[in-house]
Amino acid sequence: MNKPSNMQKTVGSQAISVKQMDSGRRFQWGLIASYAILVLFTIIYAGPLLMLLNTSLKTMPEFMKNAVAVTQSFRFQNFADAWSKANFPRYMSNTLLYTFFATVVYILTAVFVAFPIARQYVRWSGAILTMFVVALFLPPALVPQFQLMLRLGLYNNPVGYIMLFLSNPIGIVILVNYIKTVPKEMDEVAALDGCGYFRFVLSIITPLIQPAIATVAVLHAIGIWNELILPTIYLTNQKFYPITRGMIVFQGVYGSNWPTLAAAVLIMTLPMLALFLLLQRYIISGLTQGAVKG
Amino acid sequence: MNYHFGRGYGKLVPYLFLFPGIFIYMLIALGPSLATSVFSFTDATGIKGAPVHWIGLENYREFLMMGQASLDNYAALGRTLLFCLFVTTVQFGLGLLIAIILNQKVVKGSNFFRTLFFMPVILGAVIQGLIWSLFLYPMGGPVARIMAFLGAHSEFLGGKPSEAFAWVIVIQIWANMGTTMVIFIAGLQTVPSELYEAACIDGASSWQVFQNVTWPLLTPSVNTNLLLNIIGSLQAWQLFLVLLGYRNGTQVLGYLIYATGFGQTSGSVTSSFRQGYAAAASMILFLLVLVLGMTTQAILQRRERRILG
Repeated sequence: MNKPSNMQKTVGSQAISVKQMDSGRRFQWGLIASYAILVLFTIIYAGPLLMLLNTSLKTMPEFMKNAVAVTQSFRFQNFADAWSKANFPRYMSNTLLYTFFATVVYILTAVFVAFPIARQYVRWSGAILTMFVVALFLPPALVPQFQLMLRLGLYNNPVGYIMLFLSNPIGIVILVNYIKTVPKEMDEVAALDGCGYFRFVLSIITPLIQPAIATVAVLHAIGIWNELILPTIYLTNQKFYPITRGMIVFQGVYGSNWPTLAAAVLIMTLPMLALFLLLQRYIISGLTQGAVKG
Repeated sequence: MNYHFGRGYGKLVPYLFLFPGIFIYMLIALGPSLATSVFSFTDATGIKGAPVHWIGLENYREFLMMGQASLDNYAALGRTLLFCLFVTTVQFGLGLLIAIILNQKVVKGSNFFRTLFFMPVILGAVIQGLIWSLFLYPMGGPVARIMAFLGAHSEFLGGKPSEAFAWVIVIQIWANMGTTMVIFIAGLQTVPSELYEAACIDGASSWQVFQNVTWPLLTPSVNTNLLLNIIGSLQAWQLFLVLLGYRNGTQVLGYLIYATGFGQTSGSVTSSFRQGYAAAASMILFLLVLVLGMTTQAILQRRERRILG
């Protein structure tokens, strides 16, 4: 605003303040640099995925001849090969089963933990919440957890494996924070109308906190879907393997046959990618919330 | 006022439904976590029914003061710190840079870029690792060609241990930079735009704006990201498993714990199941995380008080 006389020379709807023009010129280089950095990072981030897609459509001789040339053969047969050779139907259904059951049971128990804590309907609510948070800062539970599962006879057992995924402290924190935003008067009205506790939480509270449940469920499910360490430790029988573990086995056998391996990796990637693009909002809000509170 | 559903015994209903969640959590998470220190004083193995003896500090002595094996442990410890240092600084710096670029109103398509850069986070270590094994294909793969064009050469993941280790750092940063970025973007969005306008009117340069407006107001996200990155990278080792296997000269502490406690690389070879020893190593990693985490936290809090209060 330091040169008002110049400003008046601008015409009609195209009016741009001198200050903005000044800064526009000044920031031009900054803008070019910004786009240059973005282009560079787009190559680094999209490149590996495009390479995967391209390789998955090649024949083996084609790949050997030139690893980066664009596919000529568009060999979709690779996907069919990978699907059957990598034992996908079995591993994929195992992963779906583990993810589904563990997430559903976890969410059910978590809502009934988070609700009374948020409302302070149980004694020592604050202390109980602290008890959940503190686990994030304690030593890894790996060894005693293994000893426990071994003694319970749940080693190499799908039920035992699902049990390992029934706790997630950050999820409780996110749910508690969200439930606090639901007005408490709802509880009193419901109780006066004779609505029982169980029915109230399930049929009134649960729908009201859907965004938080979606966030927690998605984060929890992604964690189970991607888990590699626990199946490596707990599942020795190949017929129980989830897709992550199965993929490592497949890599061991077909490691040099990149077209088929790439097709297998792509098949494994697509469900997560679709889920991510659909639920991106919940995933990112969950991560930033969890990070700030944790 | 405390309001309860039902009267008399009905007041116990919330406790009844609270119980399963707490019980499971104590059984599989909190209890085992606390028991790690107890197991670190025993010679527990992974064999069912084998007797467990109390052996005092023997595991710690073996880990820290027993010739060549201990030197390997110290090397793994050093590598863990090196990994933490590189991953934290680079991931923090790049995450901040990209977040600031995407937060500019003049930059088009920021949603697309945010989605692309965040995507690896949800793919998990197996996919991340396999995608990069292909991208780093040594015989004429894309990175090999670019490096050849620039006159450089690398054996990538099959090369010298130090070289393979460096590539794992790169991939770790590629995989997790998105988390740092979205936390910074969330922080940047809380900076009131009037402050930028005011600074602009006062004729501040971009660097001055960053130094005096953005950076101080970003303190909460800076703290969160630093702590998350430090703690996360000290404990991360999944990519090592997928990319390298248990290879001499590349092990970090997390992988060492797994390998001694649960056998080498794949499930078929169960050469060592020394779980007491692994528990002791877990405690050492835990202490490392605790000391570094608390020191950082103390420094950050002092800084926060200086800037904001």
